[in-house]
Amino acid sequence: MNRSQSGKNGFVYKLSVRIVFTLVVLGIWEYVARARLLGPRSELIFPSLESIGAAFVRNFVKGYAHLSLWNYIGNSMKLLLAGLFIGIALAFVFSGLSTVSRTFSVIYNYVVSVCDLLPGVALLPVVIVIFGVKSGVIVFLVVHAVIWPMSRNIMDGFMAVPMIYVEAGRNIGLKGASLLFKVYLPASTAYIVSGLKVGWARAWRGLISAEMIFGIASCPGIGLFINQMRTNMNNAEMYATLIVIIIIGVIVQYGILSPIEKNTVKKWGMSR
Amino acid sequence: MSTILEIKDLHKSFSDNPDGTEVLSSLDLEVEKNEFLCILGHSGCGKTTLLRCIAGFESFTGQVILNGSAVTSPSPDRIMVFQTFEQLFPWKTVFGNVDFPLKQTGHKDKAERKRVVEDALKKVRLSEYAHYYPHQLSGGMKQRVAIARALALKPKLILMDEPFAALDAMTRRELQNELLLLSQTEDCTILFVTHNIQEAIILGTRNIVLHKGGKIVYDKRNDMEKPISPSSEGFGRIWQEMRDAIYME
Ligand SMILES: Nc1ncnc2c1ncn2[C@@H]1O[C@H](COP(=O)(O)OP(=O)(O)OP(=O)(O)O)[C@@H](O)[C@H]1O
Ligand SMILES: [Mg+2]
Repeated sequence: MNRSQSGKNGFVYKLSVRIVFTLVVLGIWEYVARARLLGPRSELIFPSLESIGAAFVRNFVKGYAHLSLWNYIGNSMKLLLAGLFIGIALAFVFSGLSTVSRTFSVIYNYVVSVCDLLPGVALLPVVIVIFGVKSGVIVFLVVHAVIWPMSRNIMDGFMAVPMIYVEAGRNIGLKGASLLFKVYLPASTAYIVSGLKVGWARAWRGLISAEMIFGIASCPGIGLFINQMRTNMNNAEMYATLIVIIIIGVIVQYGILSPIEKNTVKKWGMSR
Repeated sequence: MSTILEIKDLHKSFSDNPDGTEVLSSLDLEVEKNEFLCILGHSGCGKTTLLRCIAGFESFTGQVILNGSAVTSPSPDRIMVFQTFEQLFPWKTVFGNVDFPLKQTGHKDKAERKRVVEDALKKVRLSEYAHYYPHQLSGGMKQRVAIARALALKPKLILMDEPFAALDAMTRRELQNELLLLSQTEDCTILFVTHNIQEAIILGTRNIVLHKGGKIVYDKRNDMEKPISPSSEGFGRIWQEMRDAIYME
């Protein structure tokens, strides 16, 4: 039987495999925890599911330093959204400019290629020297994470717009900005969406890493929280926070990115 | 009848053409209002180039005059219908593809636009598919939408570059019949490029044959009473004349 062709059955099949697999992993985990297979350190490395569950609740109710985990999540999201917004907006502005000026396009393509190779975290020391330890540093890193892949994708997308759409647009009198917004932009949606995905993935990783390396007291985020749990040996809390991080990732993927894709390129039969 | 399009001493060469020969050299042509002009000729003789010059997509020397004013750039008063099925915007529905050009060309009244779009879709028998996206349509349906899009704009000229060439024989015949009917009932002037002599005779009120360099070697009105079929009286004679013109040295 070809499972990939059996539509709904394929979905049920995949889902059940995943559920069973997860249960097995949890079962093994619980067994290792209960039997204390790792000796005295067992409780640190494999806290029981029950204690992780309790820690999960504790994270939100009690939190750390009189702040619930909600506050840390809120702070992280605030910086993340600011960075994403600025990064994406700048990517559109610069990519748009590079369609207007050839010189700008050459320079910007060069800048994007170079900067894209630079992991944000490696920039951290430099940025701290320049800005000091402020929440702006995290925003800067998120911008850095998202702007280059986004720009690369937008510019590639513009380049790949079929000539026929451009001519159909010019035929009805579109030119300059109207051609850019009404033809080039929608025609490169597939590229823009994939730029969003890469940008989000990098920004999210970059954010957590930066927060873990140096937490900002004025704006403590999830990365700082999980790091504090480690220093305080609250290992159950640490695992519980990891689960929270995964949940946020899942929400963004399935609550935001997938619907965007479904309502644009998938709907238009344009997905790459 | 009045002249709508006047082409005088049209020269066109492509700068990246290695031997620098002209694709069109000194082409003169006049087209009457409401004419259905079919353009035939060997592959590479410059039919597409001629349409693109008229549409304003190419630079050229000489004059292309539409209703008294010189053509310099693309404009909605000359709408191209291309051969490729991919000429519709995939991010717009069938309705949107017809509506959007209207909106862009200054038709502000939304209700009025809706009426025009629905009317155009009805003419090409696609009313039921208004909410479909292009990728959900067959090739023939996509070409129908492209025709509806052109009709709705009421352009001075519709420039069709082998719009049916990629269709299967049956669909092609169907679309020919529809286009014939529309060309007889709508107030429009059509320049129609084709490789198919039969198609030209069935549709055209005038047929021309181009040779290399855009030289017009055949130019005759087609006064046979429509609808024309291969069994119509005189069909064979015209067919032979045109074939001879195409293959003439
Ligand atoms: N963009 C271009 N750059 C250079 N040469 C071109 C370009 N477009 C067309 N040509 C040349 O112009 C000549 C005429 O091309 P055109 O496409 O007008 O032919 P056509 O009559 O439409 O042919 P077909 O029936 O195959 O469509 C060809 O020799 C072609 O090589
Ligand atoms: Mg051609």
